[in-house]
Amino acid sequence: MNEHQQIIHVVDDDEAMRDSMTWLLEGEGYAVACYDSAGSFLAARNDRMRGCIVLDVRMPEMSGLELHEKLEALGSRLPIIFVTGHGDVPMAVGALQRGACDFIEKPFNNEDLLTRIRRALELDTQRSARQQRDSAIAQRLEQLTQREREVMQLVVAGKLNKQVADELDISMKTVEAHRARVMEKMGVRTLAELVKAVMSVN
Amino acid sequence: MAEHRRQAKNQSMFIRPPPRQPRQTWLWLAPYAAIGIFALAMLIVTALLQWREQDTALSALEGDMHWAGRTIETRLHGHQDFLTELGREQEFRQLTYEAFQVKASRYVRDNPEISAIIWVSTDGKVEWVAPNESTAAFVGEQLTGTRLIALQEALRTRRLLFSADYRGADQRRANDLILPVQQGSSDLGAFIALQSLETLLRVTLPATFTARYSLTVVDADNRELLSNSSVKPTDRRISGSFNLDLPNNPLGLNIVAYRGGGAWLPYLPAALIVILTLIATATLFQLRRHAWRRAETEEQLRAAYAFRQAMSQSLVTGLRAIDLEGRITFVNAAFCRMTGFDEAELVGVAPPYPYWPPEEFARLQNNIDTALAGHAPASGFEMRIMRKNGERFDVRLYFSPLIDAGGKQIGWIASMNDITEPKRIRVELERAHERFATVIDGLDTAVHVADALNGEILFANRAFQHIFGFDTVGRDSSLVTAVCRPPPEALNRDPADLDAADLPCELFDGEIQHALSGHWYHLHERAIRWVDGRTVRVQIAADITDKKHIDEVNLQQQKRLEQTSRLITMGEMASSLAHELNQPLSAIANYCAGCIKRMQAGNYKFEDLLSAMQKASDQAERAGKIIRRMRDMVKKSDPNRQPVALAQLLDEARAFADIEAQRTGTQIVVDLPENLPKIVVDRIMIEQVLLNLIKNGIEAMHDTPFERRRLDINARQIDERLVQVEIADNGHGLPVEDVEKIFTPFYTTKQEGMGIGLAICRSIIEFHHGHLWVEARHEGGTVFRFTVPIEEIADE
Repeated sequence: MNEHQQIIHVVDDDEAMRDSMTWLLEGEGYAVACYDSAGSFLAARNDRMRGCIVLDVRMPEMSGLELHEKLEALGSRLPIIFVTGHGDVPMAVGALQRGACDFIEKPFNNEDLLTRIRRALELDTQRSARQQRDSAIAQRLEQLTQREREVMQLVVAGKLNKQVADELDISMKTVEAHRARVMEKMGVRTLAELVKAVMSVN
Repeated sequence: MAEHRRQAKNQSMFIRPPPRQPRQTWLWLAPYAAIGIFALAMLIVTALLQWREQDTALSALEGDMHWAGRTIETRLHGHQDFLTELGREQEFRQLTYEAFQVKASRYVRDNPEISAIIWVSTDGKVEWVAPNESTAAFVGEQLTGTRLIALQEALRTRRLLFSADYRGADQRRANDLILPVQQGSSDLGAFIALQSLETLLRVTLPATFTARYSLTVVDADNRELLSNSSVKPTDRRISGSFNLDLPNNPLGLNIVAYRGGGAWLPYLPAALIVILTLIATATLFQLRRHAWRRAETEEQLRAAYAFRQAMSQSLVTGLRAIDLEGRITFVNAAFCRMTGFDEAELVGVAPPYPYWPPEEFARLQNNIDTALAGHAPASGFEMRIMRKNGERFDVRLYFSPLIDAGGKQIGWIASMNDITEPKRIRVELERAHERFATVIDGLDTAVHVADALNGEILFANRAFQHIFGFDTVGRDSSLVTAVCRPPPEALNRDPADLDAADLPCELFDGEIQHALSGHWYHLHERAIRWVDGRTVRVQIAADITDKKHIDEVNLQQQKRLEQTSRLITMGEMASSLAHELNQPLSAIANYCAGCIKRMQAGNYKFEDLLSAMQKASDQAERAGKIIRRMRDMVKKSDPNRQPVALAQLLDEARAFADIEAQRTGTQIVVDLPENLPKIVVDRIMIEQVLLNLIKNGIEAMHDTPFERRRLDINARQIDERLVQVEIADNGHGLPVEDVEKIFTPFYTTKQEGMGIGLAICRSIIEFHHGHLWVEARHEGGTVFRFTVPIEEIADE
C-alpha cells in the first residue's frame, strides 16, 4: 500500500457496522481502514493520508462532530462523509455548513453511499493533484534569481520588454535573456502558461 | 470587695504625698542646740565679767575706804595733838587767853570742821572761846547733858575722849573732842574742840569720793550718825566698813559704792541674750515650720507632678502641645509611641512635622493653620499620619487652647487618638449594618418587630412596608396587620404574660391568608428580647401564594406524571429502539449489498460470502432482540379502562398544554355539551393523545398571526356508542398527500420531532376501538378528529 493510495477510513464504534462497511467497500475494490473511535483515528492519522473518512456522528467519548473540528484545526483536507442516525439530521446539516463534504442517514441505500464515496475520492484526487502542482511551481519559483523574479513579475503584469528595461534600468537585451531563463526554469513555453502558473500559486 | 477597697486605698495613697523622711529631724535639732549652747556661753561670759567687775569695784572700795579712814584718823589725830599742845601749855600756865585766842583761832580757821575750841572748867562752865566770833559756844555757858557726861568721863579717866554726838546750836550733828588738863592730881579743866562730823567728812574726803560712795558714820551700836548723802543705795553688795581708831569713842564708817547705771544694768546683757535666744528660737521654729510646710507643699507638688506625669505617660491618648507659632513644646509617651519618634526628635519642631506623610502635606498644613487661627472644629480633625517606619495610620486630633497660670494663652494642646482600629471597626460596623439592611430589605419575606405589650411597631423591612404601607413604624401592629394576623387563641403563649426567662419563645408558626389581597403567608412569630430589653414579637411573613399555587400544580403534575410515565417511557423507548435498530439494519444492508456486488462481478470466494451472510443473519437476530424488548415493554403497560368524564381529561391535559399556550399566546377554546356521557378509556392514554394533539395544534400555528392563534376543542356524541372529539387549529395546514403519511412512524415535519407522536396516538385510539384522522379545514388549518367509546356500550 503506497503512500499515495486512496484509503477509505471508517470511524464507527459499532463493530458490525465497521465489518459490514469493510465488506461492502472491499467488494467495490476500495482499500478500507477501520477505527473504533475518534481517538484511535487521531492517533493513526498523518498529513500524507489520502482518500476520505466515513464518520459516524454518534459515538461515545468524542463525537464525529468533535473529531471534524479537531481535523479542521489540524489542517486535514480529507473529505468527510457523516453517517447519522435518526434525529441527528440537524446536527449533520450544521456540520455540512461548516465545510464537511457530505452526509448520509442510516439506514442508507448502499448505492447512495458508494456514489458519495466516489465523489469524495474524486474531490480528494483533485485536491492532491492541485497540491502537487502548486508545490512543483513553488519549487521552480524558488530556483529563480532575484533579478529574474523582478523581470518575471513585470512581464506577468503585462509590461513590454522595453518597459521592463526602463523600469529596472537595464538593457533590452538583458531583459530578453532574463525572460528566456525564466521561461526555461518555470518549464513553460508561452507567456500565457507562465501567467497561469504564477496566478495558481498566488 | 476587699480587692476593691484595696484598690481605692491605693489610689488615694497615690495622690497623697509620701510620708516625710525622718532623717532630717536631727538636722533641725542642731540649730536649737547651737542656740542653747551659745546662749549659755554668753550668759557665763557675762556672769564672769560681772563678777570680775564687782571684784574690782570691791577692792577699789576697800582701798578708798582705808584711805578715807586714815585721812580722817590723821585729821583727828592732828586735832588731838593740837589740843594736847594747848593742854600742856595750860598745865604749865604758860598759856594766856590772848595766846590761846590767837592759836586756837588760827587752828579753827585752818580746820573748818572745828567750829570752836573752848576751855571749860571742871564743872562744865565755858571760860574761854576761840575764835571770839564763834556762835557755837559762849563764855559762861554751862555744858549739859551728853556733853557734861562726856566731860566728866574725860576728867575721870584723864584721857582724851570723844563725846557722843549731839545736836549743836545750828541743829547740826556735832561732837566734842575733850582733852582733860590736870596739874598734878588736880583737874584744871578741859579743852574741847567742837567739831562737826559732817564738815569733817566734807573737808577730808574729796568730792569725787563722795560722788562715788555713800558714806555713813555709825556709832558703836551701829546707829547711823551721819551720812554724806540722803540717797541710800539699795544695792549694798559693793560695800565695806571701817572702824576709826578714836579714843573712847569707837566710830565706824560704812561705805557703799553707788552703781554706775540702774540696778537692772548688770542684768541687761543676760536679758538681751535671753531675749535674743528666744527670738532666734522662735524664728528658727517659725523657719522650721515654714520649711516643713514648704517641704509638704513640695511633696504634694512632686506627687501631683509625678501623678500627672504618670497620667500623661500612661495615657493611650497622644498629647502634643504647641506654642502659638506651631512649634512643638511637649509630647507625651503615647504620642511618641504612636508616631514612633522620640520626644527629642519632636520637641522644638515647627510644621511640617516629621510624622506628616508627604502626600498629605497640603491638607495637614491647612489643618494646622486652621487650628492656630483658633477655628479648629470641636469634632477635631481626622487625618492620616505616618509612623517613623513609613507606616500610615488614621488619627483624630482635638485642639484646645493651652492657658498658663496667669490666664494667658501660650499655645494649643492637641490630643490625638489612633482611630485606625475604631475607624476600621466603624467601617466594618457600617458595612455590617449595610449588609444587614440590604439583606433584610432584600428579603421577599416581610419582617417586623412589635412591642409585645402595646403593639408598637419598632422595625419593619421593605417587604413588610410594601404589604402594609410605608408609615407603619410607630403604629400599632395589631391594627396594621389586622387583615393578616393569627388569632390570639392560635398563639402558643400569651405574649403579655411572658417573663424574661421565657425568651425566646415560639408564638406561632403557620399559614395565614391575607384577608384583602388573598395572598397566602407563612407566618413565623416568636417573642424575643429586644435590643432595649423589652419583650417584642418578631414576625416573619413569607408570601407563599406562588409556592402554594406551584405546590398544588406540582402535586397535580406529579400525579399526572406518575400516571403518564408509562406512556412517556414507551415513547422514549420507541425513539431509542429506533436508533438501535438502525445499526443492525444498516449492517445487514451492507453485508447483502457486498454479496450482491461480488456475485454480480463473479469475483468471489464462497467462504467469504458465507461468512458475510452469517454475519448478516447475526445482525438480523440482533434486530429481532431489540424488537422483542420493545414488545415486552408495551405488553407491560396494559390499558386500564374506566368510565371518566371527557371534561376532566381535558382539564388535566390542558394543565400541561396551557403553559405552552400562554408562551405562544394561543387561545384554547373548549366547547363541550352539558350532557356528554362519560367515556370508557384508559385515562392516561387518552390524556396523552389529547395533550399530543393540542401541542401539535399549537405548534402548527407557529407562523399564524397572534390574533388568529386559536385552538378549538369540542366534542359530541355521534351515535349510541361513540363520542367524537375535534381539535381544530388555524395553522399552516397539511398538503393532501401528507394527510395519511403523518401517521406513519418516524414521519415528521418538525425540526425536533421524533415522528412517532401521531403514530402512537392512532395506535392508542385504535386500541380503544376508535378512529383517529385528520382533515384540512375550509378556512385554513387542520382538524384532528377521533372517536372513543362511551359508558353504556362498554365492551368486554
